[in-house]
Amino acid sequence: MSAQMRVGQQRTTWLIFIGLCLFTFINLTPLIWAVLTSLKDPRDAFTIPPTIIFEPTLKYHIQVWTENDFVFYLMNSLIISAGTVFISVPAGSLAAYALSRIPRRSAGPILSALFTIRMFPHMLLAIPFFVMGTFLNMIDTYPLLILALVAINQPFTIWLMHGFFLEIPRDLDEAAAIDGCSNWQAFRIVILPLARPGMTVAALFSLLLSYNEFLFALVLTGTDTKTLPVAIASFGGEDISSWSLSAAGAVGIMLPIVLVMLILQRHLVRGLTAGAVKG
Amino acid sequence: MAPLTIQQATKSFGEVQVLHGIDISIDDGEFVVLVGPSGCGKSTLLRLIAGLEDISTGSILIDGRDISRSHPKDRDIAMVFQSYALYPHMTVAENMGFSLRMRGATMDEQHRKVHEAAGILDLEPLLDRYPRQLSGGQRQRVAMGRAIVRDPKVFLFDEPLSNLDAKLRVQMRAEIRSLHKSLETTIVYVTHDQIEAMTMADKIVVMRGGYVEQIGSPMAVYDAPANVFVAGFIGSPAMNLLKGRIGSDRQSFDLDAGGVLQFDSVLNARPHQPVILGVRPEYVKISDGGSAAVVKLIEPTGADLHVMLDIAGTKLTAVYHERLTLEEGQEVRLAIPTDHVHLFDPENETRIVGN
Repeated sequence: MSAQMRVGQQRTTWLIFIGLCLFTFINLTPLIWAVLTSLKDPRDAFTIPPTIIFEPTLKYHIQVWTENDFVFYLMNSLIISAGTVFISVPAGSLAAYALSRIPRRSAGPILSALFTIRMFPHMLLAIPFFVMGTFLNMIDTYPLLILALVAINQPFTIWLMHGFFLEIPRDLDEAAAIDGCSNWQAFRIVILPLARPGMTVAALFSLLLSYNEFLFALVLTGTDTKTLPVAIASFGGEDISSWSLSAAGAVGIMLPIVLVMLILQRHLVRGLTAGAVKG
Repeated sequence: MAPLTIQQATKSFGEVQVLHGIDISIDDGEFVVLVGPSGCGKSTLLRLIAGLEDISTGSILIDGRDISRSHPKDRDIAMVFQSYALYPHMTVAENMGFSLRMRGATMDEQHRKVHEAAGILDLEPLLDRYPRQLSGGQRQRVAMGRAIVRDPKVFLFDEPLSNLDAKLRVQMRAEIRSLHKSLETTIVYVTHDQIEAMTMADKIVVMRGGYVEQIGSPMAVYDAPANVFVAGFIGSPAMNLLKGRIGSDRQSFDLDAGGVLQFDSVLNARPHQPVILGVRPEYVKISDGGSAAVVKLIEPTGADLHVMLDIAGTKLTAVYHERLTLEEGQEVRLAIPTDHVHLFDPENETRIVGN
């Protein structure tokens, strides 16, 4: 490679880097704004130009965690998210494994149908879920919201896991069968451990969806099972003096997810790249 | 070890029939190679024996027991896959002991049998490694180790050497052969490489288009191919197959493309009978008299000399073990011993007569 080409390549790399930094900053602006606002007095929050140097206060964070039933709503969110993940990922993995091992001409229409469900507006599904919930007397219960979230999350989980299972050679299933495994044992002992990165990704996406979901939670929950996104919407309201409290709530709601992401970041990157190779 | 019998086995995928009434009888401890070009059905037949595909009609018996409809795990077979199919998340020892674990063997038994097999295959130092930490040859050996640990009635090999380089392939060929000698287990081995088939097999099954073309010992198939396909497939370089008619004196052969081949004794066919005449390259001798030919191309391989000859537009390959001094464009005379000539019917391409 000539020196001129190398300089040109370095320049391109730098331009891409600066572009990505700019993009990241734009994306992070609302987050930074929320964090700063949560640490400001409401008077400082709306000054123009915005104050960069101010006296930070944790007053609103403490208020969020100690008043307003924040912890109660957080627990609801965590229970519903965990329930969704624990049903969605195993069920989706089983379906995806089966679809990856049947002839493509049979799996294709099913995968297309799942894709269609994924594209279906959630708003239109919320109403039938509400009607069914009312009919079964399940409104404002954990199982109803969990099942609804599993239903809307399942197509994505199946598509994602399907790609991972396709990458695992069928020879391994067959070797396991000859080695004495039943179909279930081959799946559990041989295939599943190899699909772990994919399951981590599926679990994270499932967690994000269920933890952040607003519409179904608003329609299907009541006082007993209200989740954080629904609860937090009512924190601020139109009262400008509550915006710092609202921002503290927004930061609080992010914390568990950020924590999980940090812990599983390694698996996430590996899982996403593994899935990107094929499928 | 056990005899294996395949009776009238057929296999169809939807409308497409890929195996047509296969009948093969394999003796106890025999090394049988299924050989044929891609798509001939050899791997499908192996998968039927393994139980990885369902048989459409017919039956497969191991040790007299019909296992046609049994689950693979109940057939008492072991298989070495082309891709080796080692479990990536298990160590070599765990891979090798997996079948024993699934059969509920004690840890002691697993340990003992894995170490026994590892000893045979020189795998002892690798037992704690993962498959990704092994070379191609080592993986191949682990795959074999996994198979022999089970002490099965029949070993199945599905093109196990095709992912190895040429040198390692020759080495592994010898290792598999000596492993068979020491274990004396029935082996069914699939390959498209006729050299592998010739060097390893007790018995060769040549397949084409879902049919068995010929079954026999490697030398029997080589010396007396049943038809034009087998004649052309077995042997490297391939047998020369020439279209023409027997001469009126039965000591000559008139090539369709022009030119005449002379022989020192009569050919075993009627005068003027149209035939396909086959002769192996090593029997195309250069002599003082006989048919005239021109040297077109000389390919020294080191051990041998491959020579492409031209008889009035018809190409003929010859192989010489001696170092002849030939030049391209040189005219030579050919002598072909009549007892090494194979004659085939041009209509159905089956053998008429030969040595």
